[in-house]
Amino acid sequence: MALKLEIVTPLEKVYSEEVDSVTLPTTTGEIGVLPGHIPLITEVKEGELGVIRLGELDLLAVDKGFAEIFGDTVSVITEAAIDIEDIDLDSAEAAQRRAEEALRKAKEENLHPDEVEALEAKIRFALVQQLAKKKGK
Amino acid sequence: MANLHDIRRRIKSVKNTAQITRAMQLVAASKMKRAQDAALASRPYAELLARILAPVAKGVMNFSHPFLEEGRSNARCIVILSTDRGLCGSLNANLFRELPPRTQEIKYITVGRKAAQFIGRTQRDLIADFAISDKFKFPEVRVVIDFAIKAFEDGSVGSVDVLYPRFVNTLRQVPRMVPLLPLAGIQEMLESLGIDKGAQDERELNFEPSVEVILTDLLPLYVRRQFYSMVRGTKASEHSARMVAMKTATDNANNLADNLTLDYNKARQAAITQEILEIAAATAANEN
Repeated sequence: MALKLEIVTPLEKVYSEEVDSVTLPTTTGEIGVLPGHIPLITEVKEGELGVIRLGELDLLAVDKGFAEIFGDTVSVITEAAIDIEDIDLDSAEAAQRRAEEALRKAKEENLHPDEVEALEAKIRFALVQQLAKKKGK
Repeated sequence: MANLHDIRRRIKSVKNTAQITRAMQLVAASKMKRAQDAALASRPYAELLARILAPVAKGVMNFSHPFLEEGRSNARCIVILSTDRGLCGSLNANLFRELPPRTQEIKYITVGRKAAQFIGRTQRDLIADFAISDKFKFPEVRVVIDFAIKAFEDGSVGSVDVLYPRFVNTLRQVPRMVPLLPLAGIQEMLESLGIDKGAQDERELNFEPSVEVILTDLLPLYVRRQFYSMVRGTKASEHSARMVAMKTATDNANNLADNLTLDYNKARQAAITQEILEIAAATAANEN
């Protein structure tokens, strides 16, 4: 019995494969999911999501979101996700600096809270990418 | 038969029109591609959110959240997603045909100038109108949906529905009325949109850390994202409809120009024949 993993962001379906097991970073700690797991809805925290597929470990950096485990399907719904292989440290750092700069300006100019929130999310995800990449090396 | 000069002038004007509509067709086509890709890409996210919520809305009766309860007011609120500009075929007209008769109190929120104009003209109750640009991002949409949520939460309306042209493909956009709030109708909504309910599991659903924490975050996110996906679909529908309308206009203009050219040639030939006849007649008369 294989497990099906789906990772969906507002921009695209990032991942959709049959896998052996999944490790989710959640607000209450990491949980490992194997086929036959009880139905569960949980909050995903920004961090690394581990996938074991065909015996190989694959890591993805994910932003915060939700996960649903239902009948051997794990659906992760998050603001952003990227395979660690595809992370470019320099561009992640640059993105973080740009977002921090924009955030400082936004706070000075009293920008709309939504904009501030969007920028904070960008910084958060850039940080997660860097941490995950460094650890993966 | 009209004289040659008139026909020639008409051919010229028809060809000019064809050139303009063709240019508009090309502009719409390039916007359409982008809008369609964005609309299709945003759909899985909204659908997955709906799928996650479906068992939740069904199974959690001991959890109360304003979004899950029937509204306190009898007034309905309908959000209409339309276009700012016309020249997009019957897209908006089809949409307005779906509006319910005025037998109960309905308040309208409109997006796009066409809907605001229509609601104003038919003297319905318009409480707010918004504009969303072509290259919109989430915050622009959020303003609209937050306004509707606020109206629902403070009890001035009892339900919120969204009327929008759902994008099927380039040639087909179907007007749809989708109930957004309260969320009790989520199961029906899934069915009406034909969303696959995914895997089945008979065991009891668990929540971590707790139902309250999950739902307090998930419900508003769901409502906003669902609405966002609808706006994406509206934009894709608009550009598709405009592209098709402009293509039809170009084809019609070209056909008209072809027919006119035929008329023109016939008239010219008739004039030449007439002239030859006259000359021949004159010569024959002289010889006698």
